[in-house]
Amino acid sequence: MQVYDAVIIGAGPAGLAAAIQCRENNLNVVVLDEYPKAGGRLLGQLYQEPDGTWWNGIEESKALETKAEQLDTDIRLGVSVHHIETLDNQFVVHTKKENFTTKNVIIATGAAESPVPVPGWTLPGVMSIGAAQVMTNVHRVKVGEKGIIVGINVLSAAIAQELHLAGIELHSMVLPAKHIISGEQANPRKVIDDLSRVAHLAPSKFIQFGSKFAKYKWAQNLALQFYPKNGIKMWEMPIHLRKAIKQINGTEKVESVTLVDVTADGEIVEHSEEEVQVDFVCIAGGLYPLAELAAVVGCPFQYSEELGGHVPIHNERMETPIPGIYVAGNITGIESAKVAREQGIVAGLSIAKKESDSPDIIEEKLQTAIENVKATRKAATIQFHPNIPEGRANVSAAFSKIIDEQKTETTKEKIS
Amino acid sequence: MKDTIICRCEEVTLGELEELAKKHHSSARELKLLSRAGMGFCGGRTCRQAVDRVLTSITKKDPTDALPLKVAPPVRPMSLVDLGGAAKDE
Ligand SMILES: Cc1cc2nc3c(=O)[nH]c(=O)nc-3n(C[C@H](O)[C@H](O)[C@H](O)COP(=O)(O)OP(=O)(O)OC[C@H]3O[C@@H](n4cnc5c(N)ncnc54)[C@H](O)[C@@H]3O)c2cc1C
Repeated sequence: MQVYDAVIIGAGPAGLAAAIQCRENNLNVVVLDEYPKAGGRLLGQLYQEPDGTWWNGIEESKALETKAEQLDTDIRLGVSVHHIETLDNQFVVHTKKENFTTKNVIIATGAAESPVPVPGWTLPGVMSIGAAQVMTNVHRVKVGEKGIIVGINVLSAAIAQELHLAGIELHSMVLPAKHIISGEQANPRKVIDDLSRVAHLAPSKFIQFGSKFAKYKWAQNLALQFYPKNGIKMWEMPIHLRKAIKQINGTEKVESVTLVDVTADGEIVEHSEEEVQVDFVCIAGGLYPLAELAAVVGCPFQYSEELGGHVPIHNERMETPIPGIYVAGNITGIESAKVAREQGIVAGLSIAKKESDSPDIIEEKLQTAIENVKATRKAATIQFHPNIPEGRANVSAAFSKIIDEQKTETTKEKIS
Repeated sequence: MKDTIICRCEEVTLGELEELAKKHHSSARELKLLSRAGMGFCGGRTCRQAVDRVLTSITKKDPTDALPLKVAPPVRPMSLVDLGGAAKDE
């Protein structure tokens, strides 16, 4: 039976970058991804950065894949991993077709989208904003004639630009109506505050939109109070911080939506209903780390609002408290593709060091790679949540705590 | 909003979730078992976050570090044959 040095789950920027490092150190690895193409979420990305340059995810993904191929990396696509089993000091990675036995695993499964249920959201023509992105930029399918975006955040702004570039008409971008699930995403005060903090790290036009609101609360309150009735425009599309979607209408498919005005606190203004004809609706509820496989293999978790939800506890070396299990990319917190790629390099080097006869040489590279993650994070031109470094520090602290506890346990055992 | 479907696979509405949670003072796990929300074909991939939030808002508990809903393999829909059923026996 073949035993791999590492099985890498996910062929996004994190997984591919990790694979390249492993192969450069002559490790025996296999990369598994359930999607028919390599590249992960990079495939859909195309936007202009604050400095005016363009980020083209398809090209970035091609570059990584070509490099991996030059190093004879075994990449298997269309393969879903459904379980990771622990067996002595090894792991068995289960897929539908076959199982892979390995000494190490890198879980680089990325992020998933949070749903925001809206009455009528099961009608054909309603999709997540990510689905609209994939259809437009990967499959080149026109999602509809005219649509509306529900949810105002950095991700929906980036994708709105992509839809605009593809010539798809958007009526506007509005908030979800306030209810038990939409929570703070329906609160204009919270949305404006988040935007003012991250807007300078967003696609170019969005910055201009965000910078209209200073960081001061009083200025934000004023902006909300006197928010223009017609919204503030970005690429001809109005952004409405004082309008929310109440319901989606149609019999067989989406025919229109009902919008309502909301107060600066997101309360619905009575009798303000307005019907808008659209044939598709994109719901943008934000991203959360897709960590199901880390849970299945027994990683401890920490909840971090800054990082987008529950993340498997790990350290700067991308090690989890389970020896042999590593994580990289958006599974560790929602950040840009560039950060994910740097994290992948760290994870790959960590395994290379573990499996190497001369770990000192790799340690040096590893330190540089860890610094690169931080530098990339600092220079990031797209940021999904405020206070990421804080969230990261908390997760690292949780890791140290677990390791310390494990050490005390073993000393206790030795003494007794 | 009460009639809005939260779990599409099992067609569970927000109203049903709220009612069950209040009636039984249930934890996330209990609510899942009582309603089957998140237990359909997609394995909760669509509604997990929404079900969690219904729960945290009803119980007024902030999210904790533990995952509210346990994740169990297989994390993708599988046929029994693929899981090692009779057809695979050599
Ligand atoms: C809809 C959406 C839009 C985004 N838009 C942007 C953007 O515009 N700009 C930006 O910087 N970032 C964006 N992001 C963030 C994005 O996650 C990062 O840019 C980056 O792609 C993260 O890289 P990753 O390698 O961690 O994960 P991903 O790129 O998501 O790759 C993960 C891979 O793992 C695979 N996978 C997951 N589970 C399994 C399994 N069980 N078995 C097998 N394979 C599996 C997936 O198929 C996927 O290919 C977006 C994310 C999403 C979800």
